[in-house]
This record gives sequence, C-alpha cells and structure tokens, in this order.
Amino acid sequence: MGVKTDLDLCQGHGMCEDTAPEVFRVVESQDGSYDHVELVIAEPDEGLREKIEEAVRFCPNRALSIEG
Amino acid sequence: MSDQPRPKVVSGAQPDVGHYEEFMAHAAHFLYRAYQECGELAEFDLFGAKHVLMAGADAQEAVYRAPDDRVSAAAPYQYMVPVFGEGIQYGAPLETERQQVRFMSDALRPKRMKTYAQVVAQEVEDFIADWGDEGVREFHDTFKDMVLRTSTHCLMGKEFRERLTDEFGVLFAQLEHAISPEAVVDFKSEADAFANRDEARARLQDMLMEAVNDRLAANARGEEPPTDMLQSFLDARYKDGSAMAHELIPGMIIWIMFGGFHTSSNTAAWCCVELARHPEYQRELIEEVDAIYGDGGDLSFTSLREMPVMEGFLNETLRLHPPLLTLMRQVVNEPFEYKGNSFEVGTNLVISPYVSHRLPEHFPDPEKFDPHRERPEHLFASIPFGGGKRKCVGNAFAFLQVKSILTALLSRYELSCVDPPESYAEVMPSLILRPSDPCNLRYTARTK
Repeated sequence: MGVKTDLDLCQGHGMCEDTAPEVFRVVESQDGSYDHVELVIAEPDEGLREKIEEAVRFCPNRALSIEG
Repeated sequence: MSDQPRPKVVSGAQPDVGHYEEFMAHAAHFLYRAYQECGELAEFDLFGAKHVLMAGADAQEAVYRAPDDRVSAAAPYQYMVPVFGEGIQYGAPLETERQQVRFMSDALRPKRMKTYAQVVAQEVEDFIADWGDEGVREFHDTFKDMVLRTSTHCLMGKEFRERLTDEFGVLFAQLEHAISPEAVVDFKSEADAFANRDEARARLQDMLMEAVNDRLAANARGEEPPTDMLQSFLDARYKDGSAMAHELIPGMIIWIMFGGFHTSSNTAAWCCVELARHPEYQRELIEEVDAIYGDGGDLSFTSLREMPVMEGFLNETLRLHPPLLTLMRQVVNEPFEYKGNSFEVGTNLVISPYVSHRLPEHFPDPEKFDPHRERPEHLFASIPFGGGKRKCVGNAFAFLQVKSILTALLSRYELSCVDPPESYAEVMPSLILRPSDPCNLRYTARTK
C-alpha cells in the first residue's frame, strides 16, 4: 500500500507518529520552521492498514492519504 | 490595455471610500453578495486599496499553497504588531516568525495535548458544577468565561490560573478593540482605542512577565517543570540553539490566546444554539456522549477524538458560522497569476470561509444545517481554520476544547431556545462573527 504526505499541509503536530510510529516520524525542517512528517517505510504492508487509516483520520491537517 | 481576463468589479462603490461602508456594515454579507454577483473572483475597493475575493476551493488552494515571498500574510496583518509586540509574529523577520509558530506546534504535540485534555475537562466540570437542575444563561458570555479559564490554565499553568482575575479578561477585551474593522482599514489612526490598546498591552506584559519570572525561579529551584505552553516556550530553541528572550514570552502567550479565545468560545456558543434549534441532532449527540462518558468514562484525549457524531456537528457549525470570515494575503515581489489573471503587487487577496462554506458545488443547499453532510473531497473547500502552512496551528486544540465542553454539558443537560430559533442572528461587532446578544438558552437536567 502506498502512503502520500502533503508537506504544504503538514505542521508537525505528530498525531501520525503517535498513532503509527512504525510508519511515520516527525523530523526537524532545515530552516527551523514547522517540523514535518517523514515516512519510515515507503510501502508499508497490509497488516498496518488499520493503524495507518487511524493516522490519516487523526491528522488535524489532512496531510496524509492512502493510495491503493 | 492587455486582453488578459480581469475579475469582475463588485457594484456599488462610492467615491473615495469604495465599498468601505457596505463592508463595514456587515463584511460577511458584503462578501457573499460580491461572490453572488461576480463569481470566483470579485474585485472591490476599501479606501483605494484593491482587494480581490478569491472564492472557491481552487482559488483558495492557489493562495494557500503559494510561498510567503509571493503572497504575504505579514503585509496585511501589520496592525497586529502593536498587539503582540515587536519581535513577535509579524513584528519579527519571516524566518523568526516561522520558528515561533513551530514553538506553538511543539506545545501542541500529543503528549501535551493529553495533559491539556485533563485540564480542560476538570475546568469544564468545575464551571458547570453549581448550575443546578435548570436555568437560563447567556451562552456567549458563559463560554467566554469558560474558555478564558481553560486556555489560561493550559497556557500558563495552575498557579497563574488560580490567580486569574477579571482584570485579565478586561485587558484582553481592550486589546481586541484594536482589531475592529475600523482599525484594520486605518491602523495608524490616533483613536482612543489605540491608546487603550497600548495601555492594556503594557499591563498584560507586566502580569505575564511576573508569571514568567515565577516559573523561571521555580525551574531554578529544581522543581518539576509543569506541562503547559509557558514551559514549552521557555524550553523552545531557535535553529541556532538560542532561546527566546524572556520578555518576548508574554507576546507569544497573547498571540496564541488571541487566536484561540473568541474563536473557540464563539464556536461553543454557536454549537449550543444549533443544538437548541435541532432537538433531533441533540439526541444523536447525547447518545454518543453517553456511550463514551456515561459509565465512568472520562474526557480523555483518546476518547474525545473518537466522536464522529460530535465531529460532524462541530464541522457543520464551523461551516455555517466560521468565526473568522476573512483571511487576508497581499501580493508581494511579483504579480500573482491565477487562471490567466494577473494580480499586481500590493493587491489584497481575500479568502472568506464564510463565502467558501456556502458554495453549492461543495455544499448543496448551503443554508441548511445538516451535520450529516459529506465532507467535500477537495482539501481546500472547508477552511474554518484557513489552510496550508499558515493554517491555524491550534485547530486540534480547539476541537478538543469545544468537544470537552459539549460532552460535559450534554451529559447533564438538554438545551433549548429561549427566544424564537431564527432570532439568534449572525452579528459582527469585530472581525469575528458571533451570535447576537443576548444569546440566551435554557438548560434542563436530563432525566436519566
């Protein structure tokens, strides 16, 4: 399954990391502005789908989506 | 003349002042008329300053995704500098401001949000503890009091909250006067409001600085640092490793309070008005509330975020009654292009959640309050908190706070209208859209 992140929308709240740390982590940005999400694994397997769906749902900025 | 497309110009401009008078009379209604008359792009004039309403999800997306060096938030919001202070937000260089909002985001991470959820729940319980079995209250003022308590507690900690007096709220009201529409159009005016603003700002600086110094002393004594935003701001570091100057911390507190105080309290009030107007939806919410809260449950961060019925209700309330009805940007450095239109440097781009949330292509039958509406697919159709990098960073906190208030209320009471349901109107004495005064509702203890 593919996971997409939209960094124009991410403000580094970290709800995804809190919900599915296997898939998402929050990293510092180069310029000191908002931290932002980064994928720990590019193609997580189906076993993680439920957790990822939760992370997508809990993102306050709708910055995450699932593809496929 | 070029043959480039241009936005239609809104009718009714007066000599010299342009559309100022109609805008001032009710900005939301003016902007909605502008959209109905001109469509996606509507040009209007406030005292010679060119404004273009960008209505519609695509136009909003174009603005929200544009970088700061193309469309600037700092330029149109310079009138906030005397409110928050030099060195804070748009009174600081852009790269500093971007790091200061990161400090806010850091203060709203899950670990801290879990603590805030407990604080808010306790404050709300205490607040309604002596309401008795039934009564009538003015809900706008009620929620102002309540949100002031919850917000100062989460921001400044227990000690400050316990010492909170009416003065703090009064000073805040004086500061807010500085963002009345008059002030926005002519912020350099010497009106009394500005003298009051500066006096209130100086007094707030003293009050908040005292709390900062108390905290620094407690930290120096080796006491366990509490989980609140004050501590988070003290611990925050710029990219170069330096901390904020302590004198700037009060400005950070005022800034975040400004963003969250009236917006949240108004939203809570509107939610209650809509609950009272729609007993059928109130029953649905009560069922959900009882399921999570009825049997020894608590208002935890985790339980509050699993409330789909409440969320639908809150989203619909924010759709019809977005507290901020305009969000401004200014074209800087080079012209801004959108769908063949070219907006020259200095043009004010106006985004209006009020208008956007009434576009029939995303919200069929837009005036109807329907909490079961499907959320539009377009990421920029629903924008009560703005969008993109500059979206309100406190949006999740606002949801937490309002959900906590409504859950505690509905677990004890049912709400009903005191006045005819349609008499609760949208008024805007400032740039915030609020329910008309008095916003009286009846609460009656639920029979369990």
